[in-house]
Amino acid sequence: MENIQIPAAQRTPSLNLDVVNRLFVLEGESYPEDTRKFYEEPISQVVAFISQKHQDQVTCKFKLKYFNSSSAKVIMDLCTAIESSAKGGNRIKVEWHYIADDDNMKELGEEFSEELSSAEFELIEY
Amino acid sequence: MTDLQFPNEESVLNYFQELVTSDQQVIQKVELEALLAQYSKLAKNLSRMIRISDKNENRLQNISSELNAEKKKMEAVADQLSRYLPSQVYKSIFAGDHAVEIKTKRKLLTVFFSDIKGFTEISSNLQPEVLTYYINKYFSALSDVAIRHGATIDKFIGDAMMIFFGDPESKGDKEDALACVRMAVEMQAQLSKLNAEWAEEGLQYPLLTRIGINTGWCNVGNFGSADRMAYTIIGGEVNLAARLESQCQPTGVLISGETFGLVQDFVDVEEKESVTLKGINRPVRTYSVRRLLDGSEKENLPINLDIPGHKQVHVNTPELSLPDRLAFIANLRRALLILEGPQSD
Repeated sequence: MENIQIPAAQRTPSLNLDVVNRLFVLEGESYPEDTRKFYEEPISQVVAFISQKHQDQVTCKFKLKYFNSSSAKVIMDLCTAIESSAKGGNRIKVEWHYIADDDNMKELGEEFSEELSSAEFELIEY
Repeated sequence: MTDLQFPNEESVLNYFQELVTSDQQVIQKVELEALLAQYSKLAKNLSRMIRISDKNENRLQNISSELNAEKKKMEAVADQLSRYLPSQVYKSIFAGDHAVEIKTKRKLLTVFFSDIKGFTEISSNLQPEVLTYYINKYFSALSDVAIRHGATIDKFIGDAMMIFFGDPESKGDKEDALACVRMAVEMQAQLSKLNAEWAEEGLQYPLLTRIGINTGWCNVGNFGSADRMAYTIIGGEVNLAARLESQCQPTGVLISGETFGLVQDFVDVEEKESVTLKGINRPVRTYSVRRLLDGSEKENLPINLDIPGHKQVHVNTPELSLPDRLAFIANLRRALLILEGPQSD
């Protein structure tokens, strides 16, 4: 599997998958004009990667300033895949980064954490 | 389906669609449990999506409210700052037409100066608070008239006021000059009323104003430094307007020959002494404005001919019939030919 490096644009976040270091990072703002077009290909690769057997921990970092409802659905499905992989025996950690006074983003992280019981979840203020 | 991704939901739907359309007559409990589990998950996800959507909506509303509040604050600040600039300059900066940089251009402008006769003595005889009260009333009254006539109010210097027409907006050289003269006449009329009111209030010293107007080529724009600049005008023609003002009789309006040339069809004037100014190589003819006319009145002004060594000839032109008017014009032309003598080519 190859790395993924999609830089941020005006309406889309940066999306990076480092297969060697087992690190997935989604960072920036997400309100694409066509959510399926932006996310379908890379997220399917990320899900495929997460679903493989891993000896060491896989880390998924979310560092978003804003995302719309359709992006929320993508994140929700990704969390479902993460939880499924963790239930299958992989060690997976989800880091939810939020800006210090952004209570809204913190609460959104808490929403997604309800999906995760087998995967580890951490809220990180920056 | 929308552009959203529902692969899990679609696969569940497909599974149960196949089940319904299959030949299988009995639904197994395990299949119902699977359906229940999937439906529960779907309901939970839907609920979560709605909460996330509502949170985002609230956040956007809050940001929108903050931006509106910030915008109102900026508008209030801009409104206060606008009092320190000529309104046309302020508007043209906001419209993007006026660059805030050190830059000037040469333009034909009509320049106005006014001041109060004997102001030094008046200000030494009045309490500062009283002086401030009346000078502010004075400037407010003049500024209102100026703004109504489309003037650019340059500055207040003590009791003096400097105004010009022709930049940043111009209606043409003639219209600008005429607007300036009309403004000046209205100012004097307004001040006449106000001085009467102020005398009733107890003001012992009427604020009698002298006004000078000149039209000429000036440099107009932003002068000063990049950190601190002023939008104003400079040039010999500006100095001439100031000089005319100092020559003017109190309650009068003294205009230069250049200005008169542009407004002559609309003013009744009395020619005054020419003035000379350092840097201007010709004596400047000056005219005291008696009253404004509409265009047709000029045709019916009486004619007073001053002939050196002879009595003044007075012709009451409104009384002339058309044939008499034409005969008079022909006689004047013959007289002109005799006076000018033969012209060499």
